[in-house]
Amino acid sequence: MTSLTRALVAEARARRGAADPMPPRIALPPVVAPPARVYVARRPPLTPGAASAHTTALLGVGHVGTRYATDVVLQFQAELAVAHEAVAAELTDGWAKDHGFLPLQTRVADHREYLLRPDLGRRLAPDALARLQAEAPKGVDVQVILADGLSALACMQAGPALYEATVAALRARGLTVGAPLCAKFARVWLEDEIGAEVGAKVAIILLGERPGLGTGDGLSAYLVHGPALGKTDGDRNMMSNLHARGTPAEEAAPRLAALAHAMIQQGTSGVGLDLAKVDAVIERGYRAPQVRQRLVERGGAR
Amino acid sequence: MDLAATIRGVRYRFDSVKELLGRANPPKSGDDLAGVSARSTVERVAARAVLADLTLAELRANPVVPYDQDEVTRVVEDDLDDLAYKAVAHLTVGQFREWLLETSTSGATLRAVAPGLTPEMAAAVCKLMSNLDLMTVAAKCEVVVRANNTLGLPGRLSSRVQPNHPSDDVDGILASAREGLSYGCGDAVIGVNPATDTPASTAAILTALDAVCKRHAIPTQHCVLSHVTVQMKALALGCPMDLMFQSLAGTEAGNRAFGVSVALLDDAWALMKAKGTARGPNVMYFETGQGSALSSAAHHGADQLTIEARCYGLARRYRPFLVNTVVGFIGPEYLEDGPQITRAALEDHFMGKLLGLPMGCDACFTYHARMSQDELESTKVLLAAAGCTYLMSLPVGDDIMLNYQSTSFHDIPSVRRLLGKRPTPEFDAWCEDKGITRDGAPGPRFGDAGVVA
Repeated sequence: MTSLTRALVAEARARRGAADPMPPRIALPPVVAPPARVYVARRPPLTPGAASAHTTALLGVGHVGTRYATDVVLQFQAELAVAHEAVAAELTDGWAKDHGFLPLQTRVADHREYLLRPDLGRRLAPDALARLQAEAPKGVDVQVILADGLSALACMQAGPALYEATVAALRARGLTVGAPLCAKFARVWLEDEIGAEVGAKVAIILLGERPGLGTGDGLSAYLVHGPALGKTDGDRNMMSNLHARGTPAEEAAPRLAALAHAMIQQGTSGVGLDLAKVDAVIERGYRAPQVRQRLVERGGAR
Repeated sequence: MDLAATIRGVRYRFDSVKELLGRANPPKSGDDLAGVSARSTVERVAARAVLADLTLAELRANPVVPYDQDEVTRVVEDDLDDLAYKAVAHLTVGQFREWLLETSTSGATLRAVAPGLTPEMAAAVCKLMSNLDLMTVAAKCEVVVRANNTLGLPGRLSSRVQPNHPSDDVDGILASAREGLSYGCGDAVIGVNPATDTPASTAAILTALDAVCKRHAIPTQHCVLSHVTVQMKALALGCPMDLMFQSLAGTEAGNRAFGVSVALLDDAWALMKAKGTARGPNVMYFETGQGSALSSAAHHGADQLTIEARCYGLARRYRPFLVNTVVGFIGPEYLEDGPQITRAALEDHFMGKLLGLPMGCDACFTYHARMSQDELESTKVLLAAAGCTYLMSLPVGDDIMLNYQSTSFHDIPSVRRLLGKRPTPEFDAWCEDKGITRDGAPGPRFGDAGVVA
């Protein structure tokens, strides 16, 4: 004879569905081989025909479902690695001196501190300040500073050419230029202290800009009139994307010189600067070639 | 006011509500940089314990920047809805958190209370909430706005197509925009950050985008994110402009560094209401991001989360169509790594929604921050699950002009499919009509930019 307790439990279980049969097993459809042609070597162009003349954006990469083809994933990861390598790079010892620059270091001690403490990257270390005071000529029209910023690779690879072109363009306008300086672990506002120390009318800092995907070769330029501690971003004018796909050095230099010259003539910079007078040089029809390099070549040996 | 708590026999005392708010914040590299963060994890808990017992009325009485020193504080105070405020003024921050989380506290109730909340209240309660707390409450908030599209309805996830180009090449911009549209992206806005900030280039880009939208009858909005004064001049040139954009800061000094003021924004809004080309009534677009005030030394010793909330307090004055935080954009000096960026994304979205804004998020990292692509993809899903109004969309998430990693054309349909979300009703119908989607799934023209040739 079944006990009352067991009967009650059995009834409760049945009420909660335990008596219901399991759903019938779903018959698996026969597994067919995927159509091989879909899955061989999808190599979409990095940018398709018509668009590639105008942009390096990763267009026309296609899709699998709503996601990327394997080739696109690998290209993306390779480009990410390139960007991270550029960020992690540091100005090598002796590079500045070997290339004719007076080397200066900020108050930053190491790379991680550089990333987390922009305030320290805006001021010179005491020994660097002493060297600047001892060795750099004062009272110049324009002080140009090359710096690592967020890409020491861009600084070392493209910096000297942009520096030389900018100095030449400034001198062509009859402006005097200060000593060649190269700063390590530097932020934009470092130009304020350096410019003030040498008594320059305008300071220009050329520094590695934060790397993009697959790049790390770009420089930015920031200009300020009457450099002094306490200047803000509104006091500055800037040009970014100074690289082959944006504005190359030979295009950038005349524009930078025109901006510096206008600052001296108008006695101001930033939001106060009347750009209409420099627009003739700034607005131009130059069109940079748009090239995106394929980084991962698969195939061959299997 | 005695601001102190004792934990395991150690007494922690705080000098002001502003200091307390900073110490109570979860770890952020930007708060360390500003010197306002907790000096130990136990001190952080002590600060939260004190904060939990402050009333919302006490927070209103103690804004982090005084009324007579700051026009953002004045906008918040002067525009506050007193009736809505009185409904919650007596609650402590701890009670407020619990009230927000109660099932019985509906989205409609939250919407009614929003005009009575100050940014400091939103920031304070945020500091007592976990990521899942933030998502739970944000998902309840419903903020519906309209320009040409109707944004923010339940079950919807919208996106901005961001077809930036390093030299503003209009053909390059259009190539990216077309491809984005073919993935069902762009129902929030087709919005271009220009490389050159001039009225002529702003007008040229808007005119080109307008032609594409008109030719294909695309129910969306366009915008060029140049400075507001440049856009006002572009409008004077007679160009089409559906939305007007400006970056905002949470203090008067921060906005001065951006070259804007309340008076200027008032003028811009008035001009846009008269001359903007969208149906409206919501025609403004704002971007914000933790750390922007500190970067111009305009933070008044307050933590970056509270300052961020104050951006929203200012933004809501203009009944915007779009507001998004650009969460990982500035760099690791403000948000160091993946956990900080994800946390900030959920915080900003929560605070914006709580204050009544159609909050979106640019979930992104710069290549010098310590965040992996996998972490970023997770953040996008969390935001969408929390009801985030819109995300960005770019080719493979790569901004070739601003140099950072955001959401991709592929991510938007992936997240929509995963969570059962659709674009705005108008745009959804257009996608179905064009064959970009079929019943929400990828359709025959999905990913085919020729669909808007």
